[in-house]
Amino acid sequence: MAIEQFEDRPAQDYDTIDFNINIGPQHPATHGVFRMVLMVDGEEVKDLISHIGYMHRGGEKLSENMDYRQAIGYQDRTEYLAQFNAELCYVQAIEKLAGLVPPERAEYIRVILAELNRMSSHFMFLGAFGTDLGVLGTSFVYAFRERENLLDLFEEVSGDRLMYAYFRPGGVAWDVPANFKERVKWVVKQALIGADDLDRLLTDNEIFIARTLGIGRLSAQDAIDYGVTGPALRASGVKFDLRKDDPYSIYDRFDFDIPTGKNGDSYDRYLVRLQEMRESAKIVLQALDQLPDGPILPERMPRLLRPAAGEVYMRCENPRGEYGIYLVSKGGTQPYRLRIRSSCFCNLSALRHMTIGHYVADAVTILGSLDIVLCEVDR
Amino acid sequence: MPEDRRREAPAAPVAPEPGSIADTFAALLPGVALNPIQGARDVLLNVNREDAHKVLELAKNDEKLQMDFLRDLCGVDYEADGLEVVYQLYSYTLRHSVTVKAKVPTEDARIASATDLWNAADWHERECRDMFGIVFEGHPNLVPILLPDDMLDHYPLRKDNPLAPLEEWQGTSLGDNMAGAGHIPPGSGFEVRASAESE
Repeated sequence: MAIEQFEDRPAQDYDTIDFNINIGPQHPATHGVFRMVLMVDGEEVKDLISHIGYMHRGGEKLSENMDYRQAIGYQDRTEYLAQFNAELCYVQAIEKLAGLVPPERAEYIRVILAELNRMSSHFMFLGAFGTDLGVLGTSFVYAFRERENLLDLFEEVSGDRLMYAYFRPGGVAWDVPANFKERVKWVVKQALIGADDLDRLLTDNEIFIARTLGIGRLSAQDAIDYGVTGPALRASGVKFDLRKDDPYSIYDRFDFDIPTGKNGDSYDRYLVRLQEMRESAKIVLQALDQLPDGPILPERMPRLLRPAAGEVYMRCENPRGEYGIYLVSKGGTQPYRLRIRSSCFCNLSALRHMTIGHYVADAVTILGSLDIVLCEVDR
Repeated sequence: MPEDRRREAPAAPVAPEPGSIADTFAALLPGVALNPIQGARDVLLNVNREDAHKVLELAKNDEKLQMDFLRDLCGVDYEADGLEVVYQLYSYTLRHSVTVKAKVPTEDARIASATDLWNAADWHERECRDMFGIVFEGHPNLVPILLPDDMLDHYPLRKDNPLAPLEEWQGTSLGDNMAGAGHIPPGSGFEVRASAESE
């Protein structure tokens, strides 16, 4: 019997079988307890199944069983990288129903802190995204050095490094320290230097470009269809930002741009976030110049909040997209229904669509470029 | 500051102003009960569950509405009044929003799925089934998403599922013999010296 030579056999005789790879829930590349099962053919992803819910703590149910002000803490624990932004959305929803109007100074303090929080959240993204792509800690350390300055400032203001619970319906809990303006100016200056450092480290890096350019493309139409919001949507070329297009708080008083991408790939999502940090710095510096003196809570604040019966869907532009609070009140001291519209939850639902057809290593890139917070996904 | 105990009577629902988006819906859907109400930010449409899919389809596809973004889909439990599915819609093209709400009875919680209109509805509807037990007919894959796979008959966000009552934690009850014992709680096995002295 003649031995069949390897080279003689036609190529189509070699076929790979589909194979399932499980990544997570405890895996460094999944940014928390997220599990995805990849069905691969060779190294190409044919299908992806996401498993979420490992972090589900029933925050909505818990918030329905406590006073309006007590539930502020749950917002920090839901969105633990952009706590001020989440709190801002929640307290504004209450203000809409209770008819509270926060004083000017409180509005400015809130916007300054929310924008600084956006910068710290994007630093976290830049560091973690670099690590996902194998920068082996350099970007992480660079980003965390800058984030640390921001967290120090937040601690000086609110008393806590992560779980601030500083915003209140009608204003903020207490006034900022006396040296707030100088500290913010210094922190913003440092943050911009840090952003430039990361820009120089990553943007023109050949390996970084090779790993991200054209990976995980999402067309504008698909992004809208899947409910993708925030930087991921803007990277696909949709110039939409709730701060400009559906202004809340006092965002209509500031001059800033909305960075957008063209291709909707991982590289564009990175670039949009980098640009957004500089825009946030612009807003912070403008708000600092205009920061008025005065009270930080309305003069007549009821000790027990009883917002009028009704419902409101409040939405805010968080670092990761549209964060929504759907609040139903029946006039009591507790929310009747508190629904959190999580931006990461919707962004993550587009992961399967974006990953199919790419390699396994790119699945990690695409997941990293979405910048998910699993606590917000699962609530 | 004295506590404000005045309870105001709930305000009557306000009809949206003429020329609002509710009028556009009403002109396009004659014969469909919309019951529009002006909410704090958006116009709310209260529709029957039989009409819900028709209203959503029109909102998505009509030239004058073009609601291409399903912002949010969630359930609410109104106890005796049944459950409610709330759709938050937005149009990127025309920059307007509307809220569509449909009541479903608790014992027969079914409504047509919106997955054929927006892919975004997929995960939201799965979550809504998890939390409220509302079955979305026509959904391709209505399996639990946030809850465990075997948790099919327990709906945590319904109001007949109260939280477990708070229990007092028994770890640190400061008794009399704590005076000389520093921060060591009684019953922890570390108060041997204090009890030997008392004997």
